[in-house]
Amino acid sequence: MSMDVEVLEDPKHHRYVLNMGPQHPSTHGVLRVLLELEGEYAMELLPVLGYGHRCHEKIAEHKPVKSFMPNTARMDYLGALIYNHGYAQLLERAAGIEVPERVEYIRVITSELNRIQSHLLWYGAYLLDLGAFTPIMYAFDDREHILDILEDVTGSRLTYCYFRVGGVSKDIDDKFVTSTRAFVKRLRSRFPMYEDLVNGNVILQNRLNDVGELTPHTCARYGVTGPLLRGTGVAYDMRRAEPYSIYSKFDFEIPTGTKGDCMASFMVRFHELEQSLRIIEQALDGLPEGPIMTPKVPKKLKIPAGDYNSSVEAPRGELSYYLVSDGSDVPYRLKVRTPSYSNLSVVPEMCQGMLLSDVVSAMGALDLVIPEIDR
Amino acid sequence: MDINKVKGQWQNLSTVIEDIDYSVSGHDYNVCLDHEKVRDFAALMLEEGFYLVALMAVHVSPAIEVVYQFAHFETRCRVLARAFVDDNGEIPTISDIYQGANWHERETRDFHGIVFVDHPYLHPLILAEEDVDLKPLLKEEANLKDVAAVRRQPPEPAPEPKAKPEPKPEAKPEAVKSQEQS
Repeated sequence: MSMDVEVLEDPKHHRYVLNMGPQHPSTHGVLRVLLELEGEYAMELLPVLGYGHRCHEKIAEHKPVKSFMPNTARMDYLGALIYNHGYAQLLERAAGIEVPERVEYIRVITSELNRIQSHLLWYGAYLLDLGAFTPIMYAFDDREHILDILEDVTGSRLTYCYFRVGGVSKDIDDKFVTSTRAFVKRLRSRFPMYEDLVNGNVILQNRLNDVGELTPHTCARYGVTGPLLRGTGVAYDMRRAEPYSIYSKFDFEIPTGTKGDCMASFMVRFHELEQSLRIIEQALDGLPEGPIMTPKVPKKLKIPAGDYNSSVEAPRGELSYYLVSDGSDVPYRLKVRTPSYSNLSVVPEMCQGMLLSDVVSAMGALDLVIPEIDR
Repeated sequence: MDINKVKGQWQNLSTVIEDIDYSVSGHDYNVCLDHEKVRDFAALMLEEGFYLVALMAVHVSPAIEVVYQFAHFETRCRVLARAFVDDNGEIPTISDIYQGANWHERETRDFHGIVFVDHPYLHPLILAEEDVDLKPLLKEEANLKDVAAVRRQPPEPAPEPKAKPEPKPEAKPEAVKSQEQS
C-alpha cells in the first residue's frame, strides 16, 4: 500500500518519455524530439538532429567555389533562391565583382516570389498541423502560380539554381512580367478571404494566443531571428539592418508584433506576404534593361585570402555564409549559419511545461525546414 | 549601444582589435582573444545586447581557431571574435551565457573534436553517436595551412619591417586594393 502512495505522490513516477518523430507529420521532416511528459505536459524536451546530414560544409571544401551553388538550394528547399542570393553575394563581395543593375532587380523579384511561396506553404501546413484542413488547399492553389512562374524562368520548381556569380542564368521576358503582375493582383485579392477564413477564427486564436512566448532577450541568447524575433517587437530584418542587393531602394515595412507568442509570429508572416508583393511591384516598375551577366567573371574564380561573410534574410530568419579562403579557388572553410538551427534551439526552453498540443503549435510557428538544420 | 564604449571594454580582453571594411568582408570588427578571456568577452557582448550569430572552428596551423560571430539587433555591427584552443584542444564553453551556443559547440565538437570545458551535454548532435571520433572537418597534413595564409594579405610585402601598431590604419586601403586587382 505504501508503494502506491509513494508512486502517486512523487511526480517523477508519473513521467514517461514520448518519442515524437523522426517521421511525425508535424515535425515537417526528419526531426526527432524526445518529450518527457507528465500527464499531458511536456516537462523536458530534447531535439535529436542529424538524420538528414549531407556534409554540405565538407563538400564545399572539395570543389571550386562556383560549383557549390546547387548545394545551397538543397539546404532550404523552400528558400532556394534566397540561399542562392546569399552565396552569390558572398563570392561577389569576396572577389570584388560588380553586378549589373538588371540582375539585382531580377534577383529581388524572384527572391521575393520565393519568400511568398515559402510563407504560403508554411501557412497551409501550419494550419494543417492545428487541425484545419481547408486552408492548405487555398494556399497551395496560390503557391502553384509562383512555382509555374519560377519554373518558366529557372527551369525547376523547388531546388532552384538560378543565380550565378555575377549574374543570373536566364533573362526574364515579358511573359514573366505579365504573369508576375497578374499573380500580385490575384494574391492581394485573396487576402480578405484568408482573413475571413482563418485569421479571425476563434479556435486559431485560442490555439495560438499566449503560446510559446519569447522575449527579445531570449532571442538574443539563442540567436533567434526572423518572424519569431519580429513577433517580439524587434524590427530586425537583414533587408533593412544590413541592406544588401538593392533593397534600400524600395519602400516596404517590417511587420512586427508585441507579445512574442505564436499569434504574433503568425501575423508577422501573414503581413510579410503583402510587403513582399509591394517590393515585387516596385521592382517590376523600375526594371531596367541591360545585361544579365557581368562579362569579366573568370572561369576559375580565385578568392583572395581572408574571411568573408554574407548575410541575407531568408524566410525563416538570418542566413549567413562565412567563407575562409587561402587564396585558391576552393574554400578553405565554409560555414553556413542557418536560421532554423538557432530558432529550433530555443524549443527546450520555450516549450517547457507546455501542453503536448501546444508543443505542436509552438514548433509549427518556428516554420522549421529540417534539411537546413542538418545541412 | 555605444560602439566606442564597447570597444574600450574590448581593450581589456583582447590582443588585437581591427576595424574592417564592411563592403569588402561583410564584418565590421575583428577581435582576437586569448582562450581564457572568451567567457568574459561573451558576457560583455550579451550585456551590450549582441546576439550570437554563429560559432564555428577553422583548422589551421598551429592550433584550431574557434570563431564567434556576433551582431546587434539595433545597429549594424558585425563582430568576429577568434580564439585558439589550448594545447589540449580545449576552450571554455559559453553555452551558459549564450544558450544558443550549446548546439553550435556540440556541432563543433562533432566536426573538429574541440572539447568545450564545462559544457552541460557535449554529445554528438549532427553526426551519429558512433561517429564521435570522426572529426570530418580536420584537415589532412598536406592540406593544413598556416594561420597567416588564410588572413587578409597586403598585395605586395612591405619592404621595411614595421611593428604591430602600424598595420591598423593601412590594412583597410590595402585590402580594398587587393580586391580590385583580382
